[in-house]
Amino acid sequence: MELQNKVNQIFRKVFDDGDINITPETTANDIDGWDSLSHVNLIVAIETKFKIRFSQKELLTFKNVGDLLKSINSKITV
Amino acid sequence: MPFNSLKYFLFLPIVYLAFYFIGQRVRWVVLLAASLLFYAALNVPYLLIVLMLVAITTYTFGILLDRAKTTKARRTMLWSGIAANIFILIIMKYLPALSKGIIGLSKLFSFNTQTQPIRALVAIGVSYYIFQAISYLADVYLEIIKPERHIGYFALYLAFFPKLLQGPIERAGGLIPQLKARYEFNYNNMRLGILMCAWGLFKKIVIADRLGLYVNAVYNNVHVFSGLSLLLATYAYAFQIYMDFSGYTDMALGSALLFNINLTQNFNSPYTATSVADFWRRWHISFSRWIFDYIFKPLQMQWRDRRNWGTAAALIVTFFVSGIWHGASCGFVIWGLLHGLYLACSVFYRPYQKKLHKTLRIEKTWFLRAWQIFVTFNLVCFAWVFFRAENLADAFYIITNIFNYIKGARLEFLLSQGEDELVILAIVVFIYWIISATIKRCDFASFIKLSIYMKCLIVYAFIATILILAKFKHTDFIYFNF
Repeated sequence: MELQNKVNQIFRKVFDDGDINITPETTANDIDGWDSLSHVNLIVAIETKFKIRFSQKELLTFKNVGDLLKSINSKITV
Repeated sequence: MPFNSLKYFLFLPIVYLAFYFIGQRVRWVVLLAASLLFYAALNVPYLLIVLMLVAITTYTFGILLDRAKTTKARRTMLWSGIAANIFILIIMKYLPALSKGIIGLSKLFSFNTQTQPIRALVAIGVSYYIFQAISYLADVYLEIIKPERHIGYFALYLAFFPKLLQGPIERAGGLIPQLKARYEFNYNNMRLGILMCAWGLFKKIVIADRLGLYVNAVYNNVHVFSGLSLLLATYAYAFQIYMDFSGYTDMALGSALLFNINLTQNFNSPYTATSVADFWRRWHISFSRWIFDYIFKPLQMQWRDRRNWGTAAALIVTFFVSGIWHGASCGFVIWGLLHGLYLACSVFYRPYQKKLHKTLRIEKTWFLRAWQIFVTFNLVCFAWVFFRAENLADAFYIITNIFNYIKGARLEFLLSQGEDELVILAIVVFIYWIISATIKRCDFASFIKLSIYMKCLIVYAFIATILILAKFKHTDFIYFNF
């Protein structure tokens, strides 16, 4: 839950919207302005915050926020 | 066998009847045999060999990729499969241009050479099914789909005749399960399928081919014209290529629907797009999704540390490939690069544009929307000039003379086909507009819900229009060449 809150803060900052509340089921369709251009800013912001690096394969197969959280979790607990 | 030939209108019902009466287990055999026959009807025997080669190679690499244990081995299999496909594509499509380039270079360095450039091969359909093959390998690698074990269904995925020559470019995950599904007669699909075939034929032979007469009159002899003639011919080309390609797509979708198969809709009112990015979400959708997923996204992510510059570079590379995919000529490359450039620029100015609209409080106003549609349409038309012009010199002549009204607004080309033809063109466009509005932007399901009298009226008007006003002189679909 703590991780989800931290990622939520990043979402709010990237999309400039203080009302965003992500859930594992959230997809790009649910957030106004989440397109391919803002997606890259989101990914870089997450990588910088958690000091991690996603693989190409992960980046191309994320379907929702749940996939993203799982991947972050697996990297920061290693 | 093109969709606008009489042969196809005999072929389609025969294939359907054979498919309907045969047992479910061998229905794929009927469709595969029909698809190969359809391809063989082009009278180019090596095309069948190329199709089979792509099918066997991709099928084998798909299985090997799945069996590979390590990430490195999987990656090797993926890239080997992609390289094999690209090699075939180069041989089929780009060898003449490459050989011409090499001969030109050797002459430049004054090597004595008598070599003649390699003659162009007929490559109809090849770039479409090779793109499907590459997407299949990528999806197996990304574990989005499992590899197909049945080579018959796999070959049918590549060869299915409604989409073989000009797409839509289908994903294996969407098409193979449909090909395997049990067939049950569906009256609505049958009715909708036939209607879509007729509508597509109308767009092609009544509108696109008629607009083509005017476009050709100008574009085949540009130096005689200036100003308004060049502008109108360019606008006419924008609608000719749209009617031609969306007409083909309607016929492809309609034909597939007879077999209860839903193919991807390639168009969604592209000229109502409010930005170039929006245009690419509405134009040749199966292709734009392909280049977005398999070229743009991986490049954008690879270069993500460079933020907007990385995204802009990824867009330019993606649309450069898009241009090359259409053919190895400067016109196509410039067309692709222009779209890449439009989109790359928007990466930088879009946030400011949004803020400006917000400040001026015009975000959701009709005039902003109308202005954006107007600008986007003209940007797209500007790129179409390079796509259609016979050569670069013609394209530059058009660009530099499109606002030249010194020679006077000579519109003789409009009368090049005779006064009657111009009246017919106006009638045809009017009928298209009426029918299109009635069936709510090609939503055929809503047409079916109309009253019987309304339906009869539209169908009879439609048949009469095709019979009386169609251009029955056979012309190829524009996207046949890609």
